[in-house]
Amino acid sequence: MNKLVILLFWLTLVSCLSAQIALGPTVDTFGVLAGSTVTNSGPTVVLGNLGVSPGAAITGFAGIAPGGPGLVSGSINSANPFAAQAQIELTAAYNAAAGAASTATVAGNLGGLTFFPGVYTSSSTLGITGTVTLNALGNPNAQFIFQIGSALTTATSSTVLLINGAQASNVFWQMGSSATLGTTSSFAGNLLALSSISLGTGAVLQGRALARTGAVTLLSNTITAPAGLSGPPPPLVTPAPSSLLLVITGLAGLMIYQNRKRLFKSLKSH
Amino acid sequence: MWARHGVIILTALGLLACYASTLKGMAAQWWTDEDMSHGFLVPLVILWVVWRERERWLKLSPAPNWWGFALLALAAGLQFASALGVGLFAGSVAFLLSAAGVLLCLGGSNWLRVAAFPLALGAFMLPKLAVVYNQATLPLQLLASRIAAAILTSGGIGVIREGNILDVGGHRVAVVEACNGIRYLLSLGFLAVVLAYWSDPKPWMRWVLLAAAVPVAIVANGVRVAAAGWLPSLEEGVPHAVSGCLIFVLCLATLMLFRQLFNSVYVHYRH
Repeated sequence: MNKLVILLFWLTLVSCLSAQIALGPTVDTFGVLAGSTVTNSGPTVVLGNLGVSPGAAITGFAGIAPGGPGLVSGSINSANPFAAQAQIELTAAYNAAAGAASTATVAGNLGGLTFFPGVYTSSSTLGITGTVTLNALGNPNAQFIFQIGSALTTATSSTVLLINGAQASNVFWQMGSSATLGTTSSFAGNLLALSSISLGTGAVLQGRALARTGAVTLLSNTITAPAGLSGPPPPLVTPAPSSLLLVITGLAGLMIYQNRKRLFKSLKSH
Repeated sequence: MWARHGVIILTALGLLACYASTLKGMAAQWWTDEDMSHGFLVPLVILWVVWRERERWLKLSPAPNWWGFALLALAAGLQFASALGVGLFAGSVAFLLSAAGVLLCLGGSNWLRVAAFPLALGAFMLPKLAVVYNQATLPLQLLASRIAAAILTSGGIGVIREGNILDVGGHRVAVVEACNGIRYLLSLGFLAVVLAYWSDPKPWMRWVLLAAAVPVAIVANGVRVAAAGWLPSLEEGVPHAVSGCLIFVLCLATLMLFRQLFNSVYVHYRH
């Protein structure tokens, strides 16, 4: 029995180590990357860069014509060398994910299931209705790779739950065609689609929407690009001193200003 | 005289008792949220203003006004809505409205007129309105990043800006949510009003300086971020706090200059 446990542990460890995938340093900074167009309606927020290449059309975002309600915390890259480099790195990551050695086969609906680190393969479409749980078993570097033959579709309000140290940056959903996230669903991981990605109204993605050839369509979504394996997050500017300290300093300054004549007099007399 | 004082003290205690949970919530936010920690000083400044105006108060004879009850009823409605889940902000506004209602009930419109400024100062201790804060945060972050990048570039320092991330010669700086400048904005706005009250008899100067504090605070926050990008040693610890306070004092000095300027323009056109 002990030997069996050791063998299973060893196999899991080997499969985990052999499956390590890293996004390149450029694509790592993107929250949204498309091959043809990025289209947005509603107050979408993208925390990370947004780009398209080789296509050029980006609509529905402030900061790029014709404008729109969407906000991007990073830069917007339309058919520029930065986006092109990101696409090159995306292709490499996509191929690495597609070529990873499979540890298990899955099919149909993943809702209600719990997955441990590994490479899971589906020959056709996959769906998520309800909650799918990814359990990293306490290892924050553990990776989950889902190789999906065609499309991934999630139902309304479905959820990808990360537990025991699982990181969104270490979850890869590699689709042979497209991904569609249902309305108000809460999704985690990097979506690597060969063609297109579509997010339903209010869907939240803790990860990246990266489409190689097709469009990324957004509808009032929040996308947070996590820190990846390709480098440490940038240092943070520690915020301004607390408002209490600021106001005390300011009040002291005001007192000096208001009593400056008296202060000058007393200084002179001394 | 003593009976009047007794009524005032009892009413004040009653008001504090009615809004005890709201006041507790406000104090908790001042304690936990560094954007709002100046809230502890606001009541002290209000008391100082009331004490400074004591001569005016003593000259007033009370003329109770029934409209005060309308304000109290409105405040009670807001407090009820707050208790039902609307949030602490509604309860805090209700507290200020109740205070205004009590003043109107006990002393009439004259009392309310004298108390208008201290009551208005109370707005600076209200909790942040989440809807406004969430909507303003990202644009302010991006604005601070742009201003910081522009300052560094105009100073001849090479900087690459990727959204809210600045790369200053390989040193990467992220303008995070807490760097959005709201802390400078709230603190400087409060001090601008106090400065105007203390140094200028014209009530309109309070509004003008409050308006002037907005761009000054936004630019100052950009300067602070630029300084942290240029000198990594300013990023944390004592140097960070000292530089933050120094820049803030410079903001205040700028507002004092603005006051002189507005005054000169006012005097020029008046004569």
